[in-house]
Amino acid sequence: MNTPLFLARDLTRAYRHKAGFFARPTSQLAADSISFEFMARERIGVVGESGSGKSTLGRLLLGLTPPTRGDVWFEGVNHRDRSAQDWTTFRKCTSLVQQNPLSALNPQMTIGEQVAEGILVHRVAGRTEAYERTAAMLERVGLSGAMMNRFPHQMSGGQRQRVVIARALILDPKLVVFDEAVSALDVSVQAQVVALLRSLWQQLDLAYVFITHDLRIVRHLVDRIVVMYFGRIVETGDIRAVYEHPRHPYTRALLASVPTMDSSIRSIEPPIKGELDAGKVSQGCAFRSRCPFAIDRCAVETPLLRAFDRQQAACHRADEFVGPIKSQATAPQQKKIAR
Amino acid sequence: MSKLLTVRDLVVEVPARNVTIIGGISFSLEAGQTLGLVGESGCGKSMTCYAIANMLPRGIARTGGSIEFACDLLKSGKAADPTIAMIFQDPTSSLNPVHTIGYYLESALYRHQGLKGNDARLEAMRLLERVGIDRAESRLRAYPHQFSGGMNQRVMIAHALAAKPQLLIADEPTTALDVTMQAQILHLLEELKAETGMALIIVSHDLGVIARLADRAAVMYCGKIIETAPVAELLLRPAHPYARALITCMPSIDPADLEPPVPIPGSVPLLDSLPGGCHFHPRCSRASGECAAHFPAPAMIGPVHEVSCFHPVAA
Repeated sequence: MNTPLFLARDLTRAYRHKAGFFARPTSQLAADSISFEFMARERIGVVGESGSGKSTLGRLLLGLTPPTRGDVWFEGVNHRDRSAQDWTTFRKCTSLVQQNPLSALNPQMTIGEQVAEGILVHRVAGRTEAYERTAAMLERVGLSGAMMNRFPHQMSGGQRQRVVIARALILDPKLVVFDEAVSALDVSVQAQVVALLRSLWQQLDLAYVFITHDLRIVRHLVDRIVVMYFGRIVETGDIRAVYEHPRHPYTRALLASVPTMDSSIRSIEPPIKGELDAGKVSQGCAFRSRCPFAIDRCAVETPLLRAFDRQQAACHRADEFVGPIKSQATAPQQKKIAR
Repeated sequence: MSKLLTVRDLVVEVPARNVTIIGGISFSLEAGQTLGLVGESGCGKSMTCYAIANMLPRGIARTGGSIEFACDLLKSGKAADPTIAMIFQDPTSSLNPVHTIGYYLESALYRHQGLKGNDARLEAMRLLERVGIDRAESRLRAYPHQFSGGMNQRVMIAHALAAKPQLLIADEPTTALDVTMQAQILHLLEELKAETGMALIIVSHDLGVIARLADRAAVMYCGKIIETAPVAELLLRPAHPYARALITCMPSIDPADLEPPVPIPGSVPLLDSLPGGCHFHPRCSRASGECAAHFPAPAMIGPVHEVSCFHPVAA
């Protein structure tokens, strides 16, 4: 078997948090015992509400945040064992695209300088070749080479995001983490970036992790999805399997919350109330306080990921959820939850 | 039925730079109705709202047309009418960080309803509970930074309700929020509308949000309304090529529909270099010479379906 591109085992990251100046610091897990792996050229989506630990997972993979516990291997090498030299090599074949392109770009540097910087920093090529490769990369993301001398403020939001993508791809990385890369864009521009990413992935030898809270966009960009809640993976699997037959009530609630283009759907109760509430939960399923299907067992025993056909879900009642979210009849009976 | 709000030929400009932001739009709204304004960034959705609420930023002025709200002509320079309330996209930056939620709500209640002291506090608590914030008494002493974005948006809505508005303008109220919170806020707006009978203008670039809340929708492009229709009609039978393109570039969530979103070619032109004629013609596949020469006059293609296009897509 091939070595996976990335392998994460029991990855945990705790952040210390103080409620007040004299309060005792408590520690919160932004990532809690995450284990997964992926191969070269795989496309993975990570979804969840804000605070679910999506971004932390991306940063842990890229070694931008050290894990509190657990390990990450990239091409068989553990992040913990990397020398400074090794990190440089690693940085060369990974990159990160963040949400707001305007703050990701340096306002005082031209587009060309910023895209070419990676080539020059890693001494991959000389200035002439760097110039040529930058021009070619800009063309590739749908910008003209003539834009090289522009500054970020002279471009539209969509163009800036293309520049950031060009910069991320200039060194032919093996992995790019897109952290909410299209969330700040208009729908029409989003559609353009989606089309761009789909075609770039066809052309390049690239794996990516697409972190987003937008369940509509991610569907068209990835093969496999990871649903996170409170630092844990609650459901993962083939994108079509998960969207067709979500097994975890949280995934079902997320999917049901997406507004549809059907104007006859009115006055429906929101699928789940409240929001991800950090702070409590020491035992049992973290989602149980919001889960309409919670049973006594959920308060005692933390559910682990269990394998189903083409997906895995961490819910005690996962076998009871069959069928797509629209057919209410297949959902198990709701229970009043005791607070 | 009487019109609550009538906007006629509204023109909004930046006089210093001679840039037109809104180039003459007309629409009306009946009491209790919901109008959705859709379009990309920079199409003038928000400026339309600011013009209606008489709170255009400095340097931007209404230079033509009229806005009649409850038959009282809003005179420019006069204070905003107290019966229009507005909520914004980024609730956390709309709230003053140095004041408590209680101060914020109680001062609004004093201004709009003359409530003071304990009365104001009780009413503020009632409003907070109404918008779905529990433990209201202790939450009144909290500051905006202690709340999440969704809770702050609820506070904004409570603040808007303190004015007992006949019209609530919600400018991208859920764009900055998670889907789960979005579903909750949309449901809250639906409930409040049914309870108070207020009219609502909802602005969004997400047609899903518009489909959920609006009775009627107006599609804007470069400061013009290019199509207006009942929302179901617009989603099923869009006539303007731009409205159609906006619908096809929405990614679908339906597991059976695997088509990726279709992007609209080109990008929105800058306001100081708008193409002549129909502003959409350089990006439009149906454009002809006529489109570059004149802006098409709005034409009725159904009982309440109006479109500004020389070559509308047939139903």
